[in-house]
Formats: sequence, structure tokens, C-alpha cells
Amino acid sequence: MSQHLLDFTVAAPAFAALLLLFIPVRAMNVVRGVSLVGALAHLGGAIAVALNYDRAVGGVQMVSTHAVVPSMGIALTFGVDGWGVPLLLLTAVMLTTGVFASWNVQPRARDFFVLLLLLTSGVAGVFVSLDLFIFFLCYEIAVLPMYLLIAIWGTAKKVEAAGPFRFVWKMLDVGGKEYAAMKLTLMLLAGSALILAAMLALYTGAGSTSFDLRHLAMTTYAPSVQTWGFLAIWIGFGALAGVWPFHTWSPDGHAAAPTAVSMLHAGVLMKLGAFGVIRIGMILLPEGARDWVWLVGSVAMINIVYGAMSAMAQKDLKYIVAYSSVSHMGVVMLGAATLTINGWNGAVFQMVAHGLMTGLFFALVGLVYGRSHSRWVPDMGGFANKMPAVAVFFTIASLSSLGLPGLAGFVAEFLVFLGAWQSGQVIWAVAGLVGAFVTAVYVLRASKSIFWGPGPSEQFHDLTDAHGTEWVALTVLATALIVLGIWPRLGLDFIDIATSEYLPAVAQQTLEALR
Amino acid sequence: MNIASPITLAAVAVMAPLATFLIIGLIAPLRRSGKPAAWVGILGATTSTVAAALLVVDGRSDILIADWLGAGGKFFASIGFQVDGISASMLLVVSLVAWCVQVFSLGYMSDETPAGLGRYYTWHSLFLFSMNGLVMSPNALQLFLCWELVGLASYLLIGFYFRKPSAGRAAVKAFWITKLADIGLGAGLVALYVLTAKASPDGLGSFDWSPQVAQAIGTGGATVVAGLFFVAVMGKSAQFPLHIWLPDAMEGPTPVSALLHAATMVAAGVYLVVRAYPLFQAAPDVLLFMTYLGAWTAIFAAVIATVQTDIKKVLAYSTCSQLGYMVSGLGAGSLFGGYFHLFTHAGFKALLFLGAGALIHAVHSNELTDMGGLWRKMKLSGTAFILGALALAGVPGLAGFFSKDTILEALHASGQTVPWLMLLLAAGLTAFYMTRVVALALFGKPGHHTEHAHEAPASMLIPVLLLAVTAVGAGYMGGPLAKMVGAEYAFHWSMTGIIATSLGLLGIAAGWAIYGARIVTAEQLAVFAPIGNFIRASAVDRSAAWVYRNAMLGLGSGIAWFDRYVVDGVMNLTAWLAMSGGQQLRTFQSGRAGDYVYAVLVGVVLLVAAGLWNA
Repeated sequence: MSQHLLDFTVAAPAFAALLLLFIPVRAMNVVRGVSLVGALAHLGGAIAVALNYDRAVGGVQMVSTHAVVPSMGIALTFGVDGWGVPLLLLTAVMLTTGVFASWNVQPRARDFFVLLLLLTSGVAGVFVSLDLFIFFLCYEIAVLPMYLLIAIWGTAKKVEAAGPFRFVWKMLDVGGKEYAAMKLTLMLLAGSALILAAMLALYTGAGSTSFDLRHLAMTTYAPSVQTWGFLAIWIGFGALAGVWPFHTWSPDGHAAAPTAVSMLHAGVLMKLGAFGVIRIGMILLPEGARDWVWLVGSVAMINIVYGAMSAMAQKDLKYIVAYSSVSHMGVVMLGAATLTINGWNGAVFQMVAHGLMTGLFFALVGLVYGRSHSRWVPDMGGFANKMPAVAVFFTIASLSSLGLPGLAGFVAEFLVFLGAWQSGQVIWAVAGLVGAFVTAVYVLRASKSIFWGPGPSEQFHDLTDAHGTEWVALTVLATALIVLGIWPRLGLDFIDIATSEYLPAVAQQTLEALR
Repeated sequence: MNIASPITLAAVAVMAPLATFLIIGLIAPLRRSGKPAAWVGILGATTSTVAAALLVVDGRSDILIADWLGAGGKFFASIGFQVDGISASMLLVVSLVAWCVQVFSLGYMSDETPAGLGRYYTWHSLFLFSMNGLVMSPNALQLFLCWELVGLASYLLIGFYFRKPSAGRAAVKAFWITKLADIGLGAGLVALYVLTAKASPDGLGSFDWSPQVAQAIGTGGATVVAGLFFVAVMGKSAQFPLHIWLPDAMEGPTPVSALLHAATMVAAGVYLVVRAYPLFQAAPDVLLFMTYLGAWTAIFAAVIATVQTDIKKVLAYSTCSQLGYMVSGLGAGSLFGGYFHLFTHAGFKALLFLGAGALIHAVHSNELTDMGGLWRKMKLSGTAFILGALALAGVPGLAGFFSKDTILEALHASGQTVPWLMLLLAAGLTAFYMTRVVALALFGKPGHHTEHAHEAPASMLIPVLLLAVTAVGAGYMGGPLAKMVGAEYAFHWSMTGIIATSLGLLGIAAGWAIYGARIVTAEQLAVFAPIGNFIRASAVDRSAAWVYRNAMLGLGSGIAWFDRYVVDGVMNLTAWLAMSGGQQLRTFQSGRAGDYVYAVLVGVVLLVAAGLWNA
């Protein structure tokens, strides 16, 4: 049983997607039902994986292999390590809550769910893939449906022509949903091209016999492969992680995307980028990683502060949340760059914490937008009078975002800052702390502008509080944030196992020296 | 007495408010019913108070911790309860004042809607849980966790009247300023971990504040850690120039100001120094800075308090000033002095705020000019308020006298003459501004609403009278309290005590002469109006607002513009180049046969030429 558990977990959403193709478009309840069953099967699988994972043994567990192209050494190999467990759970939680958040999606709900489920299988596949080729394949499955999801179900927002390059507005509809979808896809595919090149270098450098990550990890690559391969992987995957200056798809993309797509994209897809940098870049190319961490960390520092400062200047609610993702993903990359246990633990923990937090944010933004038909924060005010529960959940998400203890975001940020200081880069830790302060400024400012004060004005007279299925996403995500904040060991005990296994080789130091 | 183990009592004291928070917070019908929710909250506070009292009587020390964070298979951070003399006595202070405030609120908040009242007691329970958790912290990390949570409770309670824009602004401002200062505590914790990790064989650091840790990290390390910690103390305990949030925090309901922004939460900074004192003692530079900054805050805030017209603002600046005393005393090396003043101040300042609340409730205004002559109408609460004012003014025999004297003695003994003089002067000013408040609010010309004022109801009167007892009696607890803290204390008259008392009495006399007996006319007093206006204009506050608006928001807008039009502009430019390049190239594919023949011809000529060139 347990050797097929991962196959089942990864395939469940894709299977549900396949099933949906045979269901009439009009049968909305059947479409919802099948999607929900697919999501719950995925969630159940992920929970079973977590329960099945033996922490005393550690390492990669529940391995299953199916040869695909034996002559090239490509095999569909899945296996889960200490990082895979929480990340798989995160994916499943985001899918499940995303299905509830898209309960009333219009038009063409069936097609929407097909793409949503398909991309989730891709995401889960990346987290547990032990074969570089399959890893990349799943990565593309996760990224490509975004184009359709945004271009069809998205919303547009006009951006004024200005700046030194204002002449491009004649040719580009900057801010439009097709523009946002195209930009997201093209920038991520440009990244994929770099990843592909690096992947081929890794494959040939290891003797062109196998794409198995465990095989590749035992190979010592030539210095030039290390240096340039890592750089290509960092930029290639980094584009998806929102690494500056390749992050500009994120604000437009997340602002244009429908609720559940923003939830999944900012919640788990961006993590694939960071996960790729660590899992492929740093672990397979340790020398290259050590050469470049100064740059990775310094750029992450820019991400944190620059992203937060940009978020502070936004007036469109979705842009605020989108820029906050750019800032928070900087914390993940910063943790990775520290090459310390606390930094890496914090990085992976932040993937989970930020996923839950930003998912909650986008679910709330969707609720507010769905009722007020406005994303323009200066117009809002006094919404707490009409939607007190939404106000409470928004406050919880805000507090996790600014790193308030008792919520998951704090644990992640604190570990990363510990790691940053331990790595000797005090400035990284200070930048992170400053970023947390700027976050406090913009999230509380937004929260005050939207929910506090007298009102709401006449324009928003028919606001209602969350009801029915909308509660599911809110309560599940908020509860997860609180539980992980109070008892972080639920995630950390898993994460720490994988970190302790991978890091000493990457940092070339003993476990004692890295603590 | 052996009712339960110290750890059980501590756990009850911390967890009871958590339970009430969850019960009121999650059970919506209960929360929306108002009064029943209030009684649940009060039940939690009562439980905490009883447990804390038993803990103090019990007198034993104990510690219980659970592993919380780890790295590489070993744990370095823990959470739990540490019971000792300091934490037990502080627990009692916090729980008792919270109980008084929650009972007082029954009367004070009676005009609130049921749902509003339920929300009010939800946040109060959250506060009491966080504050008790802070007090019982076994290490600096848990203190930090709870430190931020009390900040959250403060934010929620200041913003309780969330429909009022000024309340929203004040709540957010309080959160921002303290959060800015908390960068120091966060960085200090990280530094503490890294420094202790260097000194440990298995590479694991810790967040302990024990003398052993102080020794291991040395003076250099302790200076870094204590210095960073103190930045956060400046924010939480409202020391210059980070005091600016505290006067604005008076936007919250008055009982909230009494509990959070006078008696307990703002004292958390002082409590942090008390707990982490071994680290501070190893950092003489930080202590010296504290001595001066505390003294400066004491006198600076006292001056501002003399010109405020809002009764709560006077008390708020007075709180800044008194916290300055505590900080200065701790800086001068007197752990007990700082802690003793925290202890007495909690009682009489809560009394003053609740008394002020009773007055405000009676006249529906915070302005001193709207009060006047209230003593005749409200003899009991008026008398209690006067007792609190005298205790704060340092009248011999009352609580404030003893603790202030201990601090002044410590400064004198440490040879810090300049801060000592500043604090003496501030003592005189304190007596002056409190006499002014008493004269204006309780005596003198009756205000608009004085006619209709009534004595406060029992729910408000009982806590006020109970706190009045502490304002009289807490000073005599110095001996037992010193024993719990591990210090020696016995009162003696000294030169410092005589000077301070004389200055205090002089301040009272001057205050009464000007505002009570009116020996100077209002016209003569108006000569000083420009000075008063200058002080009230609050240059510090304005500079902070300027920095926020121009430096922070301005920089944010600049970066956002740069991102949108330059960084993203380059991306758009790339797309534009590709697209317009494609359009240019498209013209080559014209579809006319002549063009293609021409192109082939040119190609052949070029190839032949190239061939000839190479040959």
C-alpha cells in the first residue's frame, strides 16, 4: 500500500480532472462534487503520507518507481523526505480551500476546475519527484495552466502610461488580463529555458545515464558547471519565486487572476521556485551554491525591503497582497542563502506559513472584491460594520504577515533571521527585521482603511459577511496559521530531518557547526 | 499552605484568561449577549488573581519548560512557566489590577452595545493571558512572544471604538512605534542566541538571561544584547523619543488606559530589564545610558504634563515620567528600586485612571475645564483620586513616597549627580501637576456638567476604593517585596528623602496657590501661554509624523514607481523589442516574386564574393 501512496496522492487531482472532462458543463453540482472529491482524496493522501513518514528513520521514504524511458534513464520516481511532508500537506490544503473559494466561479466552471486540479497534480509532483526530468515535467504542468486560468477568468486593471518606456503602451495593454497572463507565462518560460539548459548540463555531467536526483547528488560536477549551472537554476526557478528583478509578473499576474488561482499561485506555485533553487540548485551544485549565496542573500534582502516598500505605496488591494508575496518570498530565499540549519528550516517553514497566509489573504480579497466590486482601498472604510468575521480573518492574516508571535509567520521569520545572523551576515538579519516593520506599516494601514472607521459609504450598502462554503477556506487557513504558530514542531520536526540530511554536504560543515 | 504545586497555580493563572478568551471569542451567542460575557471574563480574572495570591503566599520557586524550537535534532528554545519571587509578585499585581479594571468596566462600559461589551471582554481576556504569560516567562524568547501579544491586545483595545477615525489612527500608531522598537528585541534575541551558541560545545545557543549566560558572552556581548533589548524597552515603556504613542493611546476606553497604558503593559519594558538584569549588569554603558534617558524622560514628560487640559493626557505623560524613574533607577544599579516603583505605581496609577474614569463618566468629557467642583458631588471617588494624587506626588507615608525615595537614594549612592537632580526636579513638578489636576477637576469653579454629576455606581466604586487601599499601603510592603526579589530594604530618612519631600510639598503648595487659591489671575497666567502652546505642539510627535509621511511613504511611492515603470518597464521594453522587431522583419516576406528573385541574386553575388575572398 505505502509504495503507491505517493502515486495516488499526486495522481488524484489529475484523475479528477480527467473525469470532469466527461461531465456535462451544466451539471454544476456534479462538477463541484467531483472536484471536491479529487481535492479531498489528495488531502487524505497527503495526511496519510504525513502519518506514514517515520521520523526516526528519516531520509526519503515511500519510494515508488515506474520506468518511463529506460534508455535515457528517465523514471517516474516519487519519494517523500522531511520537506515533502509539510509541502505536500500545504498543497492539499490550498487545493481544498481553493475549491471552496471557487464554488461559484463563472463562466465555464468545469474547465476552470479541470485546470485547477491538473496544475495541483503538477505541484505535488514537483515536491515528491526524485527524477529531475519528471521534476521539470511536473513543474511545467503546474506553470502552464496559469495562462488560461488568468486569460479567461481573470480581471483587468488599467495602468497609466508613464515612465521612460511609455511608448510601449501603444503595443501592450499593460495591466490587461491577457497582458498579465502572457507576461507571467513568458517570464516563467524564459526561466524554464535556463532550467532546461542547466538540467541537460547536470544530466550529461553525471554520465548521461540517469535523471535520478539521488544519482545526480553523488556526482561532483566540474567548477564551470557548478558556477554557471547554479546561476541558471537560481534565475530560472527564481523567476517563479519572485526573485528581484524577475518578479514583475507577480503583481500583475496575481492581481489579474481569479481568487482560487491567486491562492494557489502565490500560495504554492511560488514555493516551487524556491524549492527548485534549494532542491536542485543548492543540493546538486553545492560549490556553485557556496559561490553565489552572497548574491542570493543580497537580492533576497532587496526583495524583502523593496517588496514591502512597494506594497506600502499600492492602493489596489490585490497589488498590496501581491507585493507582500514578493517581500515574503525574499524571506524564503534569504533563509536558503544563509546555509545554516535555522535558515533552511525557516525557509521551508516560511514556504508553508506564507502559503497559508497569502492563501487566506487572497480568499479574503476575493470575498471583499466579490461583494464590493472594488479593489480600491481609499474608497473603502468601515467594512467591519458589515462584515465583522471577514475583518477578524483579515486581521489574523495581517498579523501573520507582519510576523506576530503565535502565528506561523513569526516562527519562519525568526528562524531565518537567526540563520542570517549565524551566517555572519548581520545586515541580512537587520534587513529582514526592517522588512517586518514595513510590513506592519502597510498591512495595518490597509486593514484600517478597509475595515475601520465609520461607514461603509453608500456605494457599499449591500455588503454581507462571509457565509456558507466561504467559511471553509477562512477557518481552515486561519486555524492552520494559529496551530503552527503555537506549536511549530508539527511542521518543524519534519523539516529539520531533511535539512539535517542535506545541509552538511552543501555547506561542507558538520551538523554541530551549522546549528 | 499546600493547595497545589507552584507550577499548577502558575498554569491556572495563565490559562484561565486564555480559556475565557476562547470561550467568549468563539461562542458567538455568548459574546453578543454582553453582560454574561463580561462575567465570564471577570471569572477568569478572579481565578488568576486567586491563583497568583496563593502563589505569593506559597513562596516556593519552580520551573517547567517544554521544547519549542530545534535545529539539527536538538532543541534550543523552550516555553513554560518560571515561578519565583519576582514573577509571583508581578503576577499578583497584574491579575489584581486586571480584576479591578474588569469589574470597573461593568459600570463604565454600561452604555456599550452587548456585542461591543462582549468584544471588549474578549480582548481583555486576551490581554490578561498574554501579560500573565509574559510575567511567567522562563526565558527571553517567551517574554518576546508574549510581549508582542500584549502589543496586539493594546492595539485592539486602543482601537476599541474602531468607528472613530482618531481611535484607529492611535491604535495603529501605537502598534507601529512599539513594533519599530521591537526590532531591537528581535535583533537582541538573535544576537543572544548567536553569542551563546559560540560559547557552547554542541553549537546550540539559548535565550536564557542567567548570570552564567552574562558571563559567557562577556561585556562586549552583553552590551550588544542589553543595548538592543533596551531599544524595545524604550518603545514599550514609552521612553523619550519613542513615548509619542502613549498619549495618543488614551483614545481607548479609560479602564483600558488604566490597565494597559498605566499599570501593567507599559511596565513590561521595566519588567524585561528586571528579568534580564544579569545581562544589563554586565553592560555598564547601557546602564549609564538608561540612567540618563530615564531621568530625561521623567522631567521632559513632567513638564508636558503641567500644560495638558485633558485629564487622561496629564496622567499619560505622568506615566511616561514615572516609567522614566523606574528606568533611571534600574540604570543606577537598583533592581529593587525600579521594581518597587513599578509595584507601587501600578496601584496608584490604576487608581488615578479609574478615578479619572469615574469623573469622566460623570461629566462625559475628558477636559479639565468641563469638570471643576466635582468633589462635592463625588466624595468617595473624589477622595480616592486625591489619595492617588498624593501617593504619586510623594507625600510621606503614601506608596509613591517610599519607592521614589528608593530610586533617588540609589542615584545618589551611585554618584550620578545630574540625573539625580533631574529626578528631584521632576518630583517637584509631579506634585505640581497633580495638584493642578485635583484643583481644576475636583474644586474650583463648577463646570457645565457638574450639576448633573453623580457618585459612581458600586461596580466602579469598589475597585477604586480597593486600589485606594494599595495607594496608601503598598509602600509598607517594601520589606517583604525586597525579600521576594532577593534584596534588602528598610526605610530611613536621608538627605535625599528630605530634599525630595520638601520639593514635593513645594510643588503641591505652588499648584494649589495657582490653581486652587488663585493667587495669580488668569490674565497673569496667560503670559505663559506661548510656552504652553509650544510644549503642547509636541515637536517630537510632529517630526515622527513628518518622517513617516515624507521619508517612509515618499520612499515607498518612489520605489513603487521605479518598479512599475523602470524594472517592469525593461520587461515591457523587451516585449516591445520582440514585437516591433517581428513587425519589421515581416516586411521582408512581401509575397512578390520579384523581391525574392532579387534577394536570391544578392545572395548569390555575396556567396561568390565570399568564395573569391577566401580563395
